[in-house]
Amino acid sequence: MPGGIAGRGALASTGRTAEDMFAALCAGRSGVDTPRAFDLTRYRTRHAFEIDDRPPGGGDVPMRATGWLLDAIGAALADAELAPDLGDVPVLIGTTLRELRSAELAWRQHTDFDTDRLHFGHALRERFGATTTYTVTNACAASLYVLGLGLDLIESGAAETVVVAGVDTISESTFGLLDRCYPAPPEALRPFDRHRQGMLQGEGAAAVVLRGTGDARHGLLRAVAVNCDAYHPSAPDVAGIAAAIREGQSRAGAKPSDVDLVFLHGTGTELNDQAEALAMAEVFGDTPPLATAIKCMTGHTAGASGLHSLIAGTDCIRTGAVPAITTLQRPMDEAAGLRLVRDTVSGADIDLVQVHSFGFGGLNAVALLERGR
Amino acid sequence: MTGPTRPAEAVITGAGLAVAGYAGIADLLGPVPADRDGDPLAGLSRRLGRHKDRATRLALLAGGRALADAGRPADDTPVDTGPEAFDRPGGRTGVVASSNYGNLDTVCGTVDAIDAHTYTGASPMLLPSTASNVVASWIAITYGMRGANLTLCNGATSGLDAVHWACHLVRAGRVDSVLVAGVEPGNDAVTGLAGAPAFDGAAAIVVESARVAAGRGAPVRARVGRYARRADLRDAVAAVAPGPVDLWCEPEDGAAEPPVPARHRLEVGAQLGRRSGALGVLQVAAAVAWFGRHPRSRALATCGRGGEASADAAAALVLAAPEDRS
Repeated sequence: MPGGIAGRGALASTGRTAEDMFAALCAGRSGVDTPRAFDLTRYRTRHAFEIDDRPPGGGDVPMRATGWLLDAIGAALADAELAPDLGDVPVLIGTTLRELRSAELAWRQHTDFDTDRLHFGHALRERFGATTTYTVTNACAASLYVLGLGLDLIESGAAETVVVAGVDTISESTFGLLDRCYPAPPEALRPFDRHRQGMLQGEGAAAVVLRGTGDARHGLLRAVAVNCDAYHPSAPDVAGIAAAIREGQSRAGAKPSDVDLVFLHGTGTELNDQAEALAMAEVFGDTPPLATAIKCMTGHTAGASGLHSLIAGTDCIRTGAVPAITTLQRPMDEAAGLRLVRDTVSGADIDLVQVHSFGFGGLNAVALLERGR
Repeated sequence: MTGPTRPAEAVITGAGLAVAGYAGIADLLGPVPADRDGDPLAGLSRRLGRHKDRATRLALLAGGRALADAGRPADDTPVDTGPEAFDRPGGRTGVVASSNYGNLDTVCGTVDAIDAHTYTGASPMLLPSTASNVVASWIAITYGMRGANLTLCNGATSGLDAVHWACHLVRAGRVDSVLVAGVEPGNDAVTGLAGAPAFDGAAAIVVESARVAAGRGAPVRARVGRYARRADLRDAVAAVAPGPVDLWCEPEDGAAEPPVPARHRLEVGAQLGRRSGALGVLQVAAAVAWFGRHPRSRALATCGRGGEASADAAAALVLAAPEDRS
């Protein structure tokens, strides 16, 4: 039994609402800029997709991720016409880094930070009176992964309403280690391009209100498959990705040919894009659906990225527009058989969208989203 | 996909520890062992520990012991690979980890190294540990577990929340069994940011579908009852309505009054430092040990306090001995 997407909220470098974000994606507007938070004399990397909300004067401040999370959930509740008073409504938060950026600031600069606020439970209680809250740190697959748990609760009747959200900020430890690990600092995030150089980080939050099929104004969530490669702590595995796609379609009762559009994970890293393209070819064969990847414009919004794609997918179904992979110049060989979107599409008839979200630790989540009836 | 069948029953079939001075879970029921000077990681092979942070090492060791206790001794070299592996038992086994401070050492050490030596000072082997799911990730790789994989970093209630979500995964039919690990490492980053004293150790349990456990002839060590996370301890306990219990496991720093009549109260690992995300799993391991001695008894595990509006919450979980039919 599917769930209904009754409300949504999103923000990132590209816009502060879901509507603004989708308009930016369709217009090909990127949120990339020079990183503002860190001392750039310590790094080679000169690009990041930050939310520009720090106070003037330079430097960084704690608790930004928590603020975005509350904004996204508040927007989703308002959109679903629900009061911002959640009580024991389950709230599932997917994140890679929770408030670890605030911990870094406390460690290096001795800013005030209570480690009880590494997770989001206190803030969710204060703002929404929510007590059945879970901070799940499932790396870059996190928000789509917990969306699967939320759907379980709707399907089993354990809950009538579930709030599912994702959030991440850029931490200095991840920014520095990515710089350390790439041969050269990426100039752009180029999913599925022959000359892709790696991932660039983005900030953002996203939230959806999940209810029964009677409340599906943004579409029906047909299924979410989750698994783990159990292969490598950071490299992906074609077998795990393909198994997640097949399980997602099977749970949704869909055939590969039923899928109209895929939101690829598409991080612009050598290994992700290769494994994902091979898994796509394995499942879809010679007749793949349209496929796009939005991290070229939002950056890799990590724990929020799966829901960012899903929310954009609700807009594609509604408007028939599909954003393009703006930084794609020459597709890599493994992607030659895919129908990657090169220019913004309009007027497409899209009923079933498949969303990919993968993360460190071999975490894979695949969601199937259908037009509401 | 899912027929009108009853949800699978979740049971516990094994438990293990990695805590200095503790020979096994039965020690959780007694006083703190006199000799705690040993290294809790002494039982971990050098190969398993390589390139891993302390939290991961502790959890791998406790997890391996829990699997052995459940009669599923794990060959630590997963050989079951390839596309079909997702249809085999490893594909039906999940992992749920709980830790609040697990990767603070990597995060703080990395920003120190960058400050001193630029990005070139950061160790690339640490990249996976910057993400807080590194423990669950290594457990899955090490023991070949391809099912759902979750990491709870959920504050004081995190360990009981992890046990709850493991049971959820079994009841929802997403997996047949789950290795649950609660771990907190003791190091300078943890004491620097959260204050002393930090706990250093891990507990693990195996949650399994009752049908699958029966199918392989595995003894049930505990049955898992109702769970709730609510505004405060009283609300959480009221929501699970346990009635009188034989064992009550108190939240961190204790609680003045038992929330229900309890014959015996236990602060699991009270003198071992702040157990935080490990506590709930330590409590469940202690309950398993208790049921080994006290058949036909029931236990109530509680974590967190909640209370005033700015506090987070409290969680309660009911457990019963396999013989208990009340």
